[in-house]
Amino acid sequence: MNPKPFLQIDRVIHEKGRLPIMSLLAASAGMSFTEMRDALDMTDGNLSMHIKTLQEAGFVSVTKSFRNQRSLTTCALTPSGRRAFSQYIDLLEQIVKQARTAP
Amino acid sequence: METDWAAENLRVIRTLMERSAVYRRALAPLMGAVGLAGVAAAIVAPFAPVRSPRAFAGYWMAVAAICLAGAFLLIRRQALNDAEPFWSPPTRRAAQALSPAFFAGFATGLMFLCAEPRTPLAVGLLVPGWMVLYGCGVHAAGFFMPRGFKLFGWLFIAGGCVLGAAMSFGPAPALSWMHWAMGVIFGGSHLAYGIYLYFTEKHGNAT
Repeated sequence: MNPKPFLQIDRVIHEKGRLPIMSLLAASAGMSFTEMRDALDMTDGNLSMHIKTLQEAGFVSVTKSFRNQRSLTTCALTPSGRRAFSQYIDLLEQIVKQARTAP
Repeated sequence: METDWAAENLRVIRTLMERSAVYRRALAPLMGAVGLAGVAAAIVAPFAPVRSPRAFAGYWMAVAAICLAGAFLLIRRQALNDAEPFWSPPTRRAAQALSPAFFAGFATGLMFLCAEPRTPLAVGLLVPGWMVLYGCGVHAAGFFMPRGFKLFGWLFIAGGCVLGAAMSFGPAPALSWMHWAMGVIFGGSHLAYGIYLYFTEKHGNAT
């Protein structure tokens, strides 16, 4: 089996807590912190920590604003985050394909 | 097998991407309020001057408009409480899915208002027609809503077909009977679904 796809996998995305965040954001233009927290059933602290890691990697942009005198934190994938996520999916598909065609 | 995780991750990604498109605001208060309005309208109808098929269509279209306005305000309040945008992508998708059938229902009611049918049988066919159209709208929106909503739509479609058949072959119903039918079918079912959701859906901030 060709080990190349395994070695190319992005370790920032390939993590149990961060992959769901990337998946949610990939399907939308942007999501609020509370939306993601509820959709993923994560704690505020856990979600904040993973978002911070993704932000530091340049995959996620975080915008803080005020709406009706309440703070609103919105997250979105950056162009490089979208690219990295797309590559990650391609690699997963390659791995699955390899497994199916392996003798 | 060491590559199973790759297939599993792809499944997880797909599920989560689908989930991001699902409307998740609490539906129990919405359904409960619409249900109460429907039941109240059926109770009030015998005391109101609603004695012709035309008045029947106008009365229930007004009730539907009040329910829609109430639903709008409730959803807006939920969005404000959660400090989230009201017109979020899932809300937009659900509204777009509902709109064709709702428009057709509105147009059917409008035809009744303009044409002024004289026979009670016409009203007997308007109610099943509204049920089927409402069910189609709810079913279409169900693709962007939690599970159970599509089934709710199917119940309206099936109920409308059965009622339509009964109206076509049976005797023409009295107008007062049709008010009760509207109250039970639209009001009662929403109230029951609202109570069911209250005990089953996740409480608190839901989109």
